[in-house]
Amino acid sequence: MTYDLQLSHIGKVYDNGTPAVIDFNLDVNKGEFIAFLGPSGCGKTTTLRMIAGFESITSGDLLIRGKRVNDLPPERRPTSMIFQNYALFPHMTVRQNVTFGLEVKGTAPAEAKRKVDRILDKLGLMEVAEIRPTRLSGGQRQRIALARSLVVEPDILLLDEPLGALDANLRKSIQNELKLLQRDLGITFVFVTHAQSEALALSDRIVVMNAGRVEQISPPRELYTRPQSIFVARFIGANTLISGQVRQASEGMARLDSAFGTLEVQPSHGIPEIGAAASIVLPAEAIQVLPATTPESALRADYGSNVIACTINRLQLVGHILQIGLTLPNGEPVSLEGHADKYRDTLTAGGAAFVAWKPQDATLISH
Amino acid sequence: MEQRFLKSVLGVYVAAFVIFLYGPFIVLTILSFQQGPDGGPQFPIIEWSTYWYQQLFGLTPPSRIAPLPFGDALIRSLILSMMTMVVSTVLGVMSAQAFRRKFKGSSVVFYLIVLGMMVPGVLTGLGTSLLANNVIGIERHWYTTAFATHVSYTFPFAFLVMLAILNRFDASVEEAAWSLGVDPWTTFRKITFPLIFPGVLSAMLFAFTLSLDEFPRTLFASGRDQTLPLAIYGTFSVEIHPNIFAFGVLTTLFSFALLSVYGILMGLSVRRARRQAMQEDIA
Repeated sequence: MTYDLQLSHIGKVYDNGTPAVIDFNLDVNKGEFIAFLGPSGCGKTTTLRMIAGFESITSGDLLIRGKRVNDLPPERRPTSMIFQNYALFPHMTVRQNVTFGLEVKGTAPAEAKRKVDRILDKLGLMEVAEIRPTRLSGGQRQRIALARSLVVEPDILLLDEPLGALDANLRKSIQNELKLLQRDLGITFVFVTHAQSEALALSDRIVVMNAGRVEQISPPRELYTRPQSIFVARFIGANTLISGQVRQASEGMARLDSAFGTLEVQPSHGIPEIGAAASIVLPAEAIQVLPATTPESALRADYGSNVIACTINRLQLVGHILQIGLTLPNGEPVSLEGHADKYRDTLTAGGAAFVAWKPQDATLISH
Repeated sequence: MEQRFLKSVLGVYVAAFVIFLYGPFIVLTILSFQQGPDGGPQFPIIEWSTYWYQQLFGLTPPSRIAPLPFGDALIRSLILSMMTMVVSTVLGVMSAQAFRRKFKGSSVVFYLIVLGMMVPGVLTGLGTSLLANNVIGIERHWYTTAFATHVSYTFPFAFLVMLAILNRFDASVEEAAWSLGVDPWTTFRKITFPLIFPGVLSAMLFAFTLSLDEFPRTLFASGRDQTLPLAIYGTFSVEIHPNIFAFGVLTTLFSFALLSVYGILMGLSVRRARRQAMQEDIA
């Protein structure tokens, strides 16, 4: 089985000696939607530009459909890129923009016209075909950029923060369109973004990057519930981290000594070493807030030792959602949300409560 | 009160500036309508006439004042300016394009190029003619040695104009073209060049006008056949008649015509750019 795109120990060092990307490894299946996610300056755009051929590769091998393309210039790679500012040709009409790639390739005019018509029609651009793109809205220009790239039938479409310049509502709808289009065409998409909601909503797998290194490569759901590093735990979702020392560990259950006593967790990536420093990662969704009046026996029965007394300092109702701000005994603030009906009568701002969670809902990360 | 005072001072300053700028030309224009062939290049105007304009084109009966010997010089100068314009602009675009990427020694090369417009012109002219005569051993001509000095002088201007234009150029449109499978040369021809064309026009205008009235570099380097500025200078040493003023007025009008064409072309592309910018704001 050959992959559509393979990055094998890819590294990039700038001329001044600064490393931009360090030992990047990734195999992408045909038709997969991959997102590179990370804070700005983490190397995600540099990696995308290396795939496109705009940046040289310092070390490692880049393979597209099994063929090494390290030394091919961008115009000879079967990739096409969508830019954040769309980079449309301002001196050409929409139709000329879309036809340009085919024209230069030497496609017969009749066939080129047929292909261009089909893609313009698919993306709803027929009505604006004869005007210049600079006169159109952001969403339309986004679609022109897509049409221009897709009409040359690339093996891999590269997208560099393509939704970054759009307003929130438009972003949502284009996001959906993009996903449908990708499923429909079945070609591989590699998408760079710093917005985790985009990455979580669109991709089959997410590559989280930080400071030039890959932190984790996982499907969205797993990334969310089973982060593998402290960076990912802090970057994705709204997690609370409790640090401690592993006291006891076996397949399926580990005990950790923490500032809140001994806590239990189900380790998800192997068995941690006894005595090692580690953190429990608690997704906001896993945390239950229980009234101070709950009998202790009931707490123990459901949550074992994973019960911590806390103080509620803020309750705010937003529609049917209750936003809860609370403080753990060591002063660590935790924010979470819950359905208003569940909590309304039992919690009071300034009052005491318990937070509790089930061992299998949390993750353990060794330091 | 104080502000009004400041305003009137500034007003006087601007008026003086305008007089110094246009005064000479206005005086020349008036004197070019002096009566001929007996009227001289001074006030008062004996009688208004277009005699000297007619004389320029050989439409007057022969008189003791010979027609200006400018015909060949004018053609030579126009050809030289055209050649200079083309070569300097091509070199300017190419070198500015090269400067988009940092390369080793780029700052040294930058100053070497710009030196061409800083070195005193007479020295360049003298040096070039010495080089041609004594070192290489070739004859000096307006289309060889003088042409070389013109290019070395106007190329830096074209280069600086293009550098400023390319500095603001968004390179992602080029990358977009490459990523569609378009080779770099076609990308330059079909994408980059049309977008920087207004700048190329400015560079051409600079090179052409600077070359057309170039004097110090041409003086020694042009050899036997003179260019227009040299020919005009040559007539001063004999006797000045109003025909030279008439000629000055016509060449100035020609320059204005050239500038107007340039202005119209620029206006069109600027208006298009502004319309695009406005649309982008709305979007």
